[in-house]
Amino acid sequence: MNQVLTILLIGVIALLGNWIGYKVPPMESVPGILLLAVITLIGMGFTRILPFKSPVIVWISLFAMIATSPFFPGNAFTAAAIGKINLLALATPILAYAGLSLGKDIHLFKQLSWRIVVVSLVVFTGTFLFATLFAEIIFKIQGKF
Amino acid sequence: MTEQRVNVFKLHFIVLILVALTEFIGTKKINIGIGVIALFPMLYALILGGFISWPKFKWLKEKEMNAAASILGLSFFLFICKLGANIGPELPKLMSSGVSLLFQEVGHIVGTIALGLPVALWIGLKREAIGATYSLDREPNLAIIVEKFGANSPEARGALGVYICGTLFGAIYMSILASLLGSSGLFHPISLAMGAAVGSGSMMAAATGSLAVIFPEAAKDIAFYSGAANLIMSIIGTYVCIFVSLPLTQRLYKSLEPIIGRKSKHHQNHQEGGQHSA
Repeated sequence: MNQVLTILLIGVIALLGNWIGYKVPPMESVPGILLLAVITLIGMGFTRILPFKSPVIVWISLFAMIATSPFFPGNAFTAAAIGKINLLALATPILAYAGLSLGKDIHLFKQLSWRIVVVSLVVFTGTFLFATLFAEIIFKIQGKF
Repeated sequence: MTEQRVNVFKLHFIVLILVALTEFIGTKKINIGIGVIALFPMLYALILGGFISWPKFKWLKEKEMNAAASILGLSFFLFICKLGANIGPELPKLMSSGVSLLFQEVGHIVGTIALGLPVALWIGLKREAIGATYSLDREPNLAIIVEKFGANSPEARGALGVYICGTLFGAIYMSILASLLGSSGLFHPISLAMGAAVGSGSMMAAATGSLAVIFPEAAKDIAFYSGAANLIMSIIGTYVCIFVSLPLTQRLYKSLEPIIGRKSKHHQNHQEGGQHSA
């Protein structure tokens, strides 16, 4: 119940962001936000009743994909409603909560040597750069662009 | 819930104010000569939030910060749901780029290990290097390391270090990196979008945000391809980590450490290093 409420509250915050940042009138965002919340909750519930452990986000993205795919009833409405919600309007609350949780990691951070910071940055760079490079190479080979 | 007595509404309210304020400020682009850096609401929100939670100010209690971390997980679900909904209408398009999507996953592994491990050894990390460089070290990766080596092992220390650095400045760093790589003109926005799905929600959000600002005309494609790459990553990522990247990193550590590893006070550590590889 707590989680349902939290999801809805985050939805309201995203709705506000979608209004201020992307000029979508709140009433137009309501159906999309509700659909996102419902699919998310279905995904969470589904993961809970599964007999084995699996990541929630797999099921949420799979259900969202199915609900908006051409072979699902009502897909045009669902896709259009969710389309009104700007992706970045959903990302801003994430990073706001992330910011509010940073304080607890600062004392741990102070115990680390500078070395781990260097390694972290190299790791972040490596994963982004090489994945981009590999995708680019394959696309070039396939002649896509 | 373990965090009873925490007033989560206070957190939600702060976030509401932060979102309203930062969305009102909006996106700004700064040209720094070597590229364009995109500053946008989510980054202001991250920094302002970090400021509010700064321990010295005592504005937030440790419990509240932990609650914020658990709400963070839930807010990420809505973002994931939106990404999935972006893919649905264009499933056929996804099929046609299947090969690239699989290969970028290989790139994620190669990138962290091939770039990270040598540098880690060179500056003097020992077995910490294994945990630090086998993956991007988000929650599932930490769990894998702790399960295999124990919470007090050097490997777990390395993984935890990267995890904390990722939490503290991963998102900001990724958005700068995405800005620089994006404005370098070396890569197609779609390749960059796939690369941005690094396996961390906040880092991915920040990186794709930057890309969308730099390539506004490709914003839809960016969301689509990063969403697809992220989906594949979340389905096979954990297994790849357990069966491919961790064993690979351990093997490379064994052969590289004697060559580029520094002799240091940790010397005795590496004598037993790799024994745990089973």
